Amino acid sequence: MYAIVPPYLLSRLADAEAPHLAVAAEAARQTLAVTRAYHATRANLEVSVEGDALVFEGSPAPDRVISDAERRERLPGVRVRGEDDPATGDTAADQAFDGLGETFAFLWDAFARASVDGAGGTLAATVHYGEKYDNAFWNGERMVFGDGDGEVFTGFTGSISVIAHELGHGVVEHSGGLEYAGQSGALNESVADVFGALTEQHVRGQTAAEASWLIGAGIFTPAVQGEALRSMKAPGTAYDDDVLGRDPQPAHMRDYVETTEDNGGVHINSGIPNKAFHLVASALGGHAWERAGRIWYLTVTGGSLPRTADFARFAVATVHVAATEYGEDSEEAVAVRTAWSAVGVTNGGAQH
Amino acid sequence: MGHSTDQAPGEGAAVAVTVVRSGGFAGLRRQWGVEADSADADRWVALVEACPWDECTSGDRTAGGADRFAYRISARVPGATRRADLAEAEASGPWRALIDAVHEASTATSGS
Repeated sequence: MYAIVPPYLLSRLADAEAPHLAVAAEAARQTLAVTRAYHATRANLEVSVEGDALVFEGSPAPDRVISDAERRERLPGVRVRGEDDPATGDTAADQAFDGLGETFAFLWDAFARASVDGAGGTLAATVHYGEKYDNAFWNGERMVFGDGDGEVFTGFTGSISVIAHELGHGVVEHSGGLEYAGQSGALNESVADVFGALTEQHVRGQTAAEASWLIGAGIFTPAVQGEALRSMKAPGTAYDDDVLGRDPQPAHMRDYVETTEDNGGVHINSGIPNKAFHLVASALGGHAWERAGRIWYLTVTGGSLPRTADFARFAVATVHVAATEYGEDSEEAVAVRTAWSAVGVTNGGAQH
Repeated sequence: MGHSTDQAPGEGAAVAVTVVRSGGFAGLRRQWGVEADSADADRWVALVEACPWDECTSGDRTAGGADRFAYRISARVPGATRRADLAEAEASGPWRALIDAVHEASTATSGS
């Protein structure tokens, strides 16, 4: 139970004289008599009367704090908006605020997870980081967004898939983490992309078949020949540009990229598990977060995945979750096994 | 003045520096380079030699969270060639000065 009953409601309940509420009224009076520490978890609370019963329905509400680095590279920057504050009028700050709210709603609705830490914790973001800073990142505590250079990127807060990707890193970290190098790093990136894509689909109410499966659509300037940064549906096809080159993501283990750059190609080889997820979601159909997303979520948060898991270890873990949750021969378990085989991770695929 | 190049540090010029930036949320690989002739070499040699090349042996490239940039910096100055791999969090002070200078010289001459 994440909701807390606010004092004014307790007071009303304590004063209730209806005989059927006598016990509740006494409980409320006792609750009011106890000095309570301030409880930081916020909640949406709906109170209604159904027949003789007073019904409380609670769901957690986000606690967002947006700061502005004012083009310097210092964190957290100046606080510009808290949860109860009106819009600032600054596009990046307000987009970040809204995106955090959408991601929070997704985590709760899809997985009954209260915020990134699972305990209703504050969602913090800093916008306007650095001068023409061409990146968005998760620093272990908060999301940080640059403004882009205006030549390649227009900024990063305009895409919910980017915001949710960064929060996805937070969920991974709070769940035990995946070491940010090589295959475990590519899994960390892939899981963040899964959160990014699913949050966007949740906002839009899209099924797996309707979704674009693009990460970062709309953040390139019109000068760039490309629709997004990555495509989970067709890794390697998101952009093909004179300056940036071609999207280097593989979709199969035979094309795994060995490199010392990018922490061992964590943003490149994530294409392989990304494609596996897309295959599972497409095979199952409907809203991807309901089954495919749930299997991935339980795998990441289950507590038994090693920080150094490689693709094959992760594949085994997802198959185990699918079989446990839905049955050994279930449609879900079959879809997961088939997907990992199709991208060459299992069944004789390269076991890097 | 610096001279931009997309190639590895050149063999003709007195000084050549290449910065490769990988990673970041986008995972885009970008490369900037500069070659300086003897007339402008002193400034670049000073920028290069100000960096602690022998100390950049950080074992933990993952420090600082996810989606940070990673840098590979290569330099050739009279009598020496140098290379360093840096996490974004490490690329401060003289490293940052060198990276910014290469970026600026490269951008200024290539117009990209």
